[in-house]
Amino acid sequence: MIHLLLFGLLAGQAVASDAAAEHLRAGLEARKQHQVDVEIAEFRKATELDPGLADAFVNLGAAYMEKHDYGSAINPLKRALELSPDLPVAHQYLGYALLAQGYAAEAIPHLERVGAQDALGIAQIETGQLSEAVANFNAALAQRPDDPDLLYYLGHASGLLSKSAIDMLIAAHPDSARAHQALAENYFVLRQMPQAEKEYQEALRLRPELPGLHLELGKVYANSAQWPKAEAEFRAETKLRPGNAEAAYRLGAALLQQGKATEALEELKRANDRKPDMPETLYSLGKAASLSGDAQTAEKVWTRVIELEKETSLAAQAHFGLAALYRKQGKVQQTRHEMQEFQRLQSTIGPPRSE
Amino acid sequence: MCDELLLCISLYVGLTGLEFVLACFCASERSEQGSDTRRATHGMFRRYTRRDFLSVAALAAATPIFEVKPLRGIDFILQNSPTPHKYLIETMPGGAALFDYNNDGLLDIFLVNGGKIGNSLHVPESFDRATPRYWNRLYRQNHDGSFTDVTEVAGLAHAGNGNYGMGVAVGDYDNDGYSDLYVTSYGKNILYHNNGDGTFTDVTAKAGVAGGGWSVSAGFFDFDNDGHLDLFVTRYMEWDADHNKICGGDWHTYCPPGAFPPTTCLLYRNRGDGTFEDVSERSGIAAKKGRALGVAFADYDGDGFTDIFVSNDGMQQYLFHNNGDGTFKECALESGAALTSDGKGLSGMGTVFQDYDNDGRPDVLVTVLPRELYGLYHNDGAGLFSYQSLETGLGALTSGSSGWGVGLEDFDNDGWKDLFVAQSHVLDNVQQIDASLHYKELPLLALNRSGRFERADSGVTAPLAARGAAFGDINNDGWMDVLITTLGGPPVLLLNRGGSQHWLSITLRGTRSNRDGYGAIVRVNGQTRTATSAGSYVCANDKRLHFGLGSAAKAAVEILWPSGAKQVLKDVRADQFLEVREPEGS
Repeated sequence: MIHLLLFGLLAGQAVASDAAAEHLRAGLEARKQHQVDVEIAEFRKATELDPGLADAFVNLGAAYMEKHDYGSAINPLKRALELSPDLPVAHQYLGYALLAQGYAAEAIPHLERVGAQDALGIAQIETGQLSEAVANFNAALAQRPDDPDLLYYLGHASGLLSKSAIDMLIAAHPDSARAHQALAENYFVLRQMPQAEKEYQEALRLRPELPGLHLELGKVYANSAQWPKAEAEFRAETKLRPGNAEAAYRLGAALLQQGKATEALEELKRANDRKPDMPETLYSLGKAASLSGDAQTAEKVWTRVIELEKETSLAAQAHFGLAALYRKQGKVQQTRHEMQEFQRLQSTIGPPRSE
Repeated sequence: MCDELLLCISLYVGLTGLEFVLACFCASERSEQGSDTRRATHGMFRRYTRRDFLSVAALAAATPIFEVKPLRGIDFILQNSPTPHKYLIETMPGGAALFDYNNDGLLDIFLVNGGKIGNSLHVPESFDRATPRYWNRLYRQNHDGSFTDVTEVAGLAHAGNGNYGMGVAVGDYDNDGYSDLYVTSYGKNILYHNNGDGTFTDVTAKAGVAGGGWSVSAGFFDFDNDGHLDLFVTRYMEWDADHNKICGGDWHTYCPPGAFPPTTCLLYRNRGDGTFEDVSERSGIAAKKGRALGVAFADYDGDGFTDIFVSNDGMQQYLFHNNGDGTFKECALESGAALTSDGKGLSGMGTVFQDYDNDGRPDVLVTVLPRELYGLYHNDGAGLFSYQSLETGLGALTSGSSGWGVGLEDFDNDGWKDLFVAQSHVLDNVQQIDASLHYKELPLLALNRSGRFERADSGVTAPLAARGAAFGDINNDGWMDVLITTLGGPPVLLLNRGGSQHWLSITLRGTRSNRDGYGAIVRVNGQTRTATSAGSYVCANDKRLHFGLGSAAKAAVEILWPSGAKQVLKDVRADQFLEVREPEGS
């Protein structure tokens, strides 16, 4: 990877003695032939013949790196930096080698020196510098947006940062509403709904005005199929935050689940007004409209879902909904078309799964 | 409701007996449907019958419709034999039948047992069905409401060591006037001919209906209207002990159905000579592989031929339209009865095919797992269905529960069929995996309020690992009762406390049609029932057709027999068991 790029740079540099230079050249030639052991032998001879030859030490370190022998790479790379403290490639290699060997704190100055944000972020996770790590991963992702390793490490660092903050919160303010909210969120993730309910209720008792608490408690009830309770909590959230689209969407969904189609339709329309074209909102809006006998709205919003989603399972569901709508209206051709589209998507993306 | 009524209720606690004298000062307020009739008897002693009193109590909404009643004389424990190997068959039995095998007018109880599963099961499996604790059992009802175990005398003791019991179907396949039994199993199924003298004979080999594989629910019906009951058998999947799988990682659970290959259902045509012909292939039934658990029958499109609804687990449901020429066409998807309104498959388990909204057309209800809703497919006419679980209130009632046996019966006799579901999760350790779910659950009783269901107290207070639910009027009081089977436990009888509403119970006596009249469409005061003992899950129901009449003291009865004969009875007195014989002329 990166170390391969620097060999070219090193190859052009002057050498101190002819013999050492000969071995250095032989080592570089062996690299071209992918003969790592020959490389190492030649670079080692070069360092023995000319102990002041920084390039030979860098290349020796690089050869060990190539062989994944990071422990052996460290000393020649350190020697190279003693000889030439500003050699960026040696800093980079040494940073990687130290990090690979678990010496994260020692690796950081070398990685900082060359701006190796990805490796630096990993080192910072290990040293507990989580905010810095997140910043470095974000910076690295700006250069390589789809890199799976970077995405993984960003998620990992963010999670640890989040956990760290929550741990601090719970330790410092165990009886606060936020601490109960944080505990409730953990219980919810673990699907321990009775405990989550208890913690949310305590948080609400302490700070009933806190935004999001009713919404989250409503989700706990929805997850346990306690729909009237879920409805009450979502409704409380919509009163607290009338501009929040999710609260309106969740309330609409809870109403729909209980067969209160007309009320659900109003809430889902409100959710769509506040945050237009959210496919899930539109899909539920279509269901509520269909149940309320408003076929025109159902047709319109499901068609919009298909425009937005195209080939997803939600689009398949919208096709299925339209088919049912047209079937009721006796529109045979349209029904057939929508069913064909539904089945086509099912065959390509798999059937919609039950929740 | 009068305040004094509470005093009456408190006085009733602890009293038993069919009739008693209750002396209490209170106003009796009797509400009658559609009427303002009220009577007050302030300040007098009045002689109350138990029925009178209980009707008022039921209206107080404090008293559940059912009372959990000990089954005197029944010592049955459903031996499903759960093991650490999580053999999938362990969590699926077992059936119950409510039927009058000796024609004494009282419903008897047949219970299907699982079998013994040893530490390690291998093909060919053996379930030790010769040992009495693993027998299926027949209990004859005595006139005092107790039961006597007549299994051995009746010749039903040993169900074959290779057969792990699942379900039961009841029908008079030879039209001799005595109800016969068909017992399904993992292994071979057994047809027991009722000899009419209190004994049964295993006629499986002669009849040719042993099947094989993993059969679950079954039902008798007459698909070709030739007057002889045919037989449909659901089969779950291709499974055997050597190909069992365990799922859930560290949780160690039963695997979902998709982990095993699907299989076909079986259809046997009754030749009328005591033998059956396997027409699964020829009829088109075997063209569709599925993971079938439940089956129910009704003529959904009014073409005079009985159709079949099959509940499949973890996939689309099947609706086999009877073409009338001995073949069927699976048409659930195009009819709108295959998936949820979101286009999702269902974990279909039990099913019932009756008219819940009194529009004269049979609707379909399918019980499923949590995170889904029990699927209610409303029959819109013209062969089309629409998914109406949300509209009918089932969204709020059922999304957290697992349903098995299911019935649409009028438990409060108000003229609307109510919903009862035996509930329990498939996985015995589900609560460890998801604390919001429970293995044992209370049954669901939902009263039908003009087409919308509302939860009511079933009277069961301890959660059950319920599977089957059979429906019938066990004590012949005109009020529908329920028998539930439970894994590793005894059957549970829910006896209807009764009330003041009127009722009518009709027994069909086919002459040109099959003798049981299965497939007949019976309309009473605006309600419609299809005559069948099938439906639910692995169970056979009382074949008598029960109608709640509300305040109506008379009924208009219309019967459309499978033969095509139409019979009308006017001004039929309410509160009676009525046998109707099919006219023999054309």
